Amino acid sequence: MLEHYLSLATKAIFIENILLAYFLGMCSFLAISKRVDTSIGLGFAVTFVLTITAPANWAIHHYFLEDGALSWAGLPEVDLSFLNFIVFIAVIAAMVQLVELILDRFSEKLYHNLGIFLPLIAVNCSILGGSLFLVERDYNFMESTIFGFGSGLGWFLAIASMSSIRYKLRYSNVPLRLKGLGITMLLTGLLSMAFMAFSGIDL
Amino acid sequence: MVNALRKLIKNIEPKFTDDGPLQRFFPIFEATESFLFSSDEKTKSGPHIRDSVDIKRVMILVVLALIPCYIFGAINIGVQAGIASGKERTLFDNFVFGMGYIIPVIIVTFIAGGFWEVLFAVIRKHDIYEGFLVTCALIPLLMPPTIPLWQVFVATSFGIVIGKEIFGGVGYNIFNPALVTRAFIYFAYPTTIAGDKVWLVGPDGYSGATALSIPAATENSNALDLLNNVNQFDFSWINMVMGYIPGSIGETNKIIILLGALFLIYVKIASWRTMLGAILGLFFTAIVTNTLAPFSSNTMLSLPPHYHLVMGSFMFGVAFMATEPVTSAHTNRGKWIYGFLIGSLTVIIRSINPAYPEGIMLAILLMNAFAPLIDYFVVQKNINQRKFRYAK
Repeated sequence: MLEHYLSLATKAIFIENILLAYFLGMCSFLAISKRVDTSIGLGFAVTFVLTITAPANWAIHHYFLEDGALSWAGLPEVDLSFLNFIVFIAVIAAMVQLVELILDRFSEKLYHNLGIFLPLIAVNCSILGGSLFLVERDYNFMESTIFGFGSGLGWFLAIASMSSIRYKLRYSNVPLRLKGLGITMLLTGLLSMAFMAFSGIDL
Repeated sequence: MVNALRKLIKNIEPKFTDDGPLQRFFPIFEATESFLFSSDEKTKSGPHIRDSVDIKRVMILVVLALIPCYIFGAINIGVQAGIASGKERTLFDNFVFGMGYIIPVIIVTFIAGGFWEVLFAVIRKHDIYEGFLVTCALIPLLMPPTIPLWQVFVATSFGIVIGKEIFGGVGYNIFNPALVTRAFIYFAYPTTIAGDKVWLVGPDGYSGATALSIPAATENSNALDLLNNVNQFDFSWINMVMGYIPGSIGETNKIIILLGALFLIYVKIASWRTMLGAILGLFFTAIVTNTLAPFSSNTMLSLPPHYHLVMGSFMFGVAFMATEPVTSAHTNRGKWIYGFLIGSLTVIIRSINPAYPEGIMLAILLMNAFAPLIDYFVVQKNINQRKFRYAK
């Protein structure tokens, strides 16, 4: 059992990296990766929120929205899965608010470190993508938690390495028209080529 | 004769400088001049470095270290072709035969690399860097002798432009351009360079599995027994050190590579920390996989570390690619970590990734991406330590 969870986590972090294999969460990845410390902060925040929203969305999908999920309420024919998207987005936004409130109350330091990034995560597509993947792949509760955590960690790795590369690039002589986003897009491509080292590993 | 040439160059120089009609092409003029004569440029303000080592010397020393690999590569192509077709040849004939395959690859690489380097130098008005000589000298050594030349051209163009020129040229790149070239061919034309079948010049249809793909393809067995039972090639440890096995042009003879590596360490171009770190990482991870081997059906896990060391292009990659000063980690402690992770990842990719029989190229490429992050944390840790120590 442990082995299964371990391979699931490795898969989510390296082999099917949510950013470099599926290109989810690109917008904040491109925008925030200018500084190393802020991108590490954002990486932590994304990991945190993904770890919480994935099981929460799993529970909502499993007990309310899935085909036949409402049989516990005496409604076995009802299929609410068309509501997946809107409910997931609402849950993510609510979760982010909740996390913000809890952090503000109990750990002021972390709250101030994350700052503006916490509310911004609500619109990070890797979070929604993570929730949709767990529905598509039929994970159970424990699997979704580990998948959420692994995806977050993968995203964290990608943005941390990208930000340090961009830090180094400040001394480079990049052509004028490629400066900023252009070179970052090209770098993302090269980075995902490097991550192809793991593609094909069958766990 | 030399004086006449020098005079000619001095005469045409005004055409290329400031307001001359050909000032656009100054980089080409400059490169030709510094190729023919040593530079007479003198620094006018400090710091004055009293050492003759500059980029040009460094690059030439690396190319020098690579030349024995070319010579042995050529001989080995001839030897392998001789074995495949059952003909005996003398050493010199083998060399000539092999050169017939290597020289076209070198020419195509230098045409492609030189073209892009000159084009970017002219348009972006920077000097032509000697760095492209090293990149172009490395690329043919990474290629199998049977590679189609148009693939070499396309891949070299990709490696030079996307891997180096868009970052501003030599010294600014993030990924090793020669490795980007190799990876491009690897992913774009997997049928010619996948690495599960040997590359050699022989009769049509003559082929066989490589040393790395034999244990990877068989389950529930011992890697050493499998390798010792191969009839087609001699995959014993000592023969893999001596390099008389099919492979990419420059990677096979480990003794020559070791000498080249020692030379580069001696002239202080390559970092011994990275190399030692990589070997430690390889041994550590291979010992771990060996202890895990009895519990798994994966034969590759049982391959002992000293075989991992001499198989594939691990030594070539570590000696000449991983130690590249621009793309590796820059801090000393970072170099240890960087090297260790390269060695470790190589074994992991070889052992558990069925898609790729060889892992060193992808391991270095991946660690290129993480080298700045390693540096960042090493520097940050140092800052924090000092803060803790002094700023009370």
